[in-house]
Amino acid sequence: METTISKSANYTVIAVAGRIDTVTAVEFERSVSQAFEDENNALIIDCSGLEYISSSGLRVFLMIQKKMMAKKGQLHICSLRPNIKEIFDISGFSGIFKLFGDLDSATKF
Amino acid sequence: MENTLNVKIMVVDDEVDLEPLVRQRFRRQIRSGEYDFVFAHNGLEALSKLIENPTIGVILSDINMPEMDGLTLLLKLKELKNPSLKTVVVSAYGDMENIRMAMNRGAFDFLTKPINFEDLEITINKTLEEIILQRKALIEHDQLISIQRDLNVAREIQQGILPQTFPPFPNRFDFEIFASMEAAKEVGGDFYDFFMIDNDHLGFVIGDVSGKGIPAAIFMAVSRTLIKATGLKGMPPGECLGYVNNLLCNESISCMFVTVFYAIINLKTGKLSYANAGHNPPYILRQNETIETIPSTGDTILGVFEDQQFETASIQIQPTDSVLLFTDGVTEAFNNQSEAYGESRLEPLLRQLGNKNATEVVKEIVGDVTTFVDGAPQSDDITMLCLKYNG
Repeated sequence: METTISKSANYTVIAVAGRIDTVTAVEFERSVSQAFEDENNALIIDCSGLEYISSSGLRVFLMIQKKMMAKKGQLHICSLRPNIKEIFDISGFSGIFKLFGDLDSATKF
Repeated sequence: MENTLNVKIMVVDDEVDLEPLVRQRFRRQIRSGEYDFVFAHNGLEALSKLIENPTIGVILSDINMPEMDGLTLLLKLKELKNPSLKTVVVSAYGDMENIRMAMNRGAFDFLTKPINFEDLEITINKTLEEIILQRKALIEHDQLISIQRDLNVAREIQQGILPQTFPPFPNRFDFEIFASMEAAKEVGGDFYDFFMIDNDHLGFVIGDVSGKGIPAAIFMAVSRTLIKATGLKGMPPGECLGYVNNLLCNESISCMFVTVFYAIINLKTGKLSYANAGHNPPYILRQNETIETIPSTGDTILGVFEDQQFETASIQIQPTDSVLLFTDGVTEAFNNQSEAYGESRLEPLLRQLGNKNATEVVKEIVGDVTTFVDGAPQSDDITMLCLKYNG
């Protein structure tokens, strides 16, 4: 699991690649917390490199969403691979998160 | 240096003048509790003092003594095999032969006479530090063992709250039910349950809590209990999950959640009412090698978002059909090549199991998954519940 954080004037993008499982979920949570320290109230998680996510990983997504809601910010998730999209659909997460097909459309807040 | 573990220092020497001298020289350390001395005058006495005072850690021993000398004492101490018992021998200056023999018999360090008390203090401190380090490691080791023991008890308790007796309703011939949960760790976050709501309605449920280990196990126990208590009231599945969701939201810290499939079958008509909170869709195994999934309702997990609505959907079950509930530990069982078992292996197998009874269905799948993973470490709980409707 690897994360790359890039900040622009209006939003922050966290690109996550690899597997988020029970072990790497802790790491993922830690790197995402760093992104919360900045002032941007718009966050994009780019999942184009995400290969696998376990329930521990989904939990971190929920925490991000709750934190963003608490600071009245917005969270966009983009570029889910089909197997990840299926997990989001089955778990009903597709109805909770704002999902976008690509990064470009996700940047429009 | 802090001597929090109260490690005692035993001085073994046949010179009776030594005790008042040591007490005088180290009176400050004795008063502050840093040093606590015990005195013995030969090897034999030293051994009996050791039994009386199990907290003795440092032994300062002379070599030439009546009854039992220092070298023999070292041999006896070696037999105790206590790594946190360290002996410093005190010998005449230049007595290299005895010093070497003492070191070979396991002495930790040596001092020469006449004793230089500054050097003695450094030596005592160094030895005490070593012992305290070892004893702390030993205490932590014991704590780990005790946690492991607790985990094993927790495992028994957890298995105990899931129904374990099969067949559970030996007088009913209109259906069969079988279930199993194999946790990846000592305790798991999956659960299953079933209960008669009235004479014609059977409720059955499967759930998967996010994460693993103790936190998941506690959340699992709460979820399972709430669903059963609510389900027994007989309310429709969607309403039941909505009610339980709100209760869990109050309990849920740090975004733990649970996916749940809960269904009630009318045993007279075969009508299955169900609600699905983010759980993978169960299968219906029909005759003639056909299978179908129970369509998802698109509703989400329990425990995070309050006041969610959960739809109650329904589907018709025919006599001899089986309903298989499972958790993603089945489809996401990985082999050593990091391949997942997946629907692509599960579905062809299920087509072959339409004629089997509930117990056989679960056992055949467990067997196939076990063969597939071929000894690779289990990463998730593997849980299944099969209901066969006989009509």
